[in-house]
Amino acid sequence: QGLKPIVSTESPALIFGTTAKLASDLPATDSFLGKNKVPDLQKLFQRADGLPVHLKRGVPDKLLYRTTMALTIGGTIYCLVALYMASQPRNQ
Amino acid sequence: MAHQAHSYHMVDPSPWPIFGAAAALLTTSGLIMWFHYNSSQLLILGLLSMILVMLQWWRDIVRESTFQGHHTPTVQKGLRYGMILFITSEAFFFLGFFWAFFHSSLVPTPELGSQWPPMGIKPLNPLEVPLLNTAILLASGVTVTWAHHSITEGNRKQATHALTLTILLGFYFTALQAMEYYEAPFSIADGVYGATFFVATGFHGLHVIIGSSFLSVCLLRLIKFHFTPSHHFGFEAAAWYWHFVDVIWLFLYMTIYWWGS
Repeated sequence: QGLKPIVSTESPALIFGTTAKLASDLPATDSFLGKNKVPDLQKLFQRADGLPVHLKRGVPDKLLYRTTMALTIGGTIYCLVALYMASQPRNQ
Repeated sequence: MAHQAHSYHMVDPSPWPIFGAAAALLTTSGLIMWFHYNSSQLLILGLLSMILVMLQWWRDIVRESTFQGHHTPTVQKGLRYGMILFITSEAFFFLGFFWAFFHSSLVPTPELGSQWPPMGIKPLNPLEVPLLNTAILLASGVTVTWAHHSITEGNRKQATHALTLTILLGFYFTALQAMEYYEAPFSIADGVYGATFFVATGFHGLHVIIGSSFLSVCLLRLIKFHFTPSHHFGFEAAAWYWHFVDVIWLFLYMTIYWWGS
């Protein structure tokens, strides 16, 4: 029967089917400052892959998330150490 | 697959609130380390993580609304209430500084020479750059309204032009204020006049920068087709904020700049 792909190759029905209509309300008369990529992004972000919205785009999202986590958690530990040291009485 | 039976938005689990709280801890502790121990590493860490959290949190809101369609009219109503309440809280914030100004200027103490402006203070001429700044902000209020009308009429090119003009006027104001700050004959340390002047106008200037940034993000989203003629609350929120900044300036101008000279 062959291996079934993990992600269905046919695009799943958009959960909010009307959203595609919204973006095309504006007249796409000229290519003034770029093409409308919103429908493609809508498809991307509505994929039923179980990913939360902050990681939905994959690798770039993961990198940013991990960087932010490293800075905040690492910073909090550094902060607690610095506050502990600052709270020690200074001997004259 | 089960679908929700209500029109509210149950958000995906997100790390940004707790990371934001941590960033606030780092920023405040960083200020302490900078003030008292002359060390700026923690402060820089704090500001950097704050910016990262803000960028990602708001990016996610754009994803949830424009790309995933979660912002139903009910959700939008909640966002409107939220923005109004936030702006109201900012109004109270400025009210405090106006109170401080009037406390000192309505009954000037003998130490000030029993007069306002105090003895020795040469206030800025309200009919020079401050008047120009007033005209700039009023004009920017017109252009942002023009942008809004263009969006509701579906006129993308005009909306882009009007919003760009608004942002440029905002930058012009900031540049002129910066120059005024540099050239002013008095400083923040010059008694209660300097303190009230620079703290009130300084916080206002910060809000102009925040408002200009908000409008710039809206311009980017406008160009990327995120807004529709009937659904563009992000822009409306930015426009409300901008009008608020304009109104605060008008109060500042009339009280501190004009009456206070």
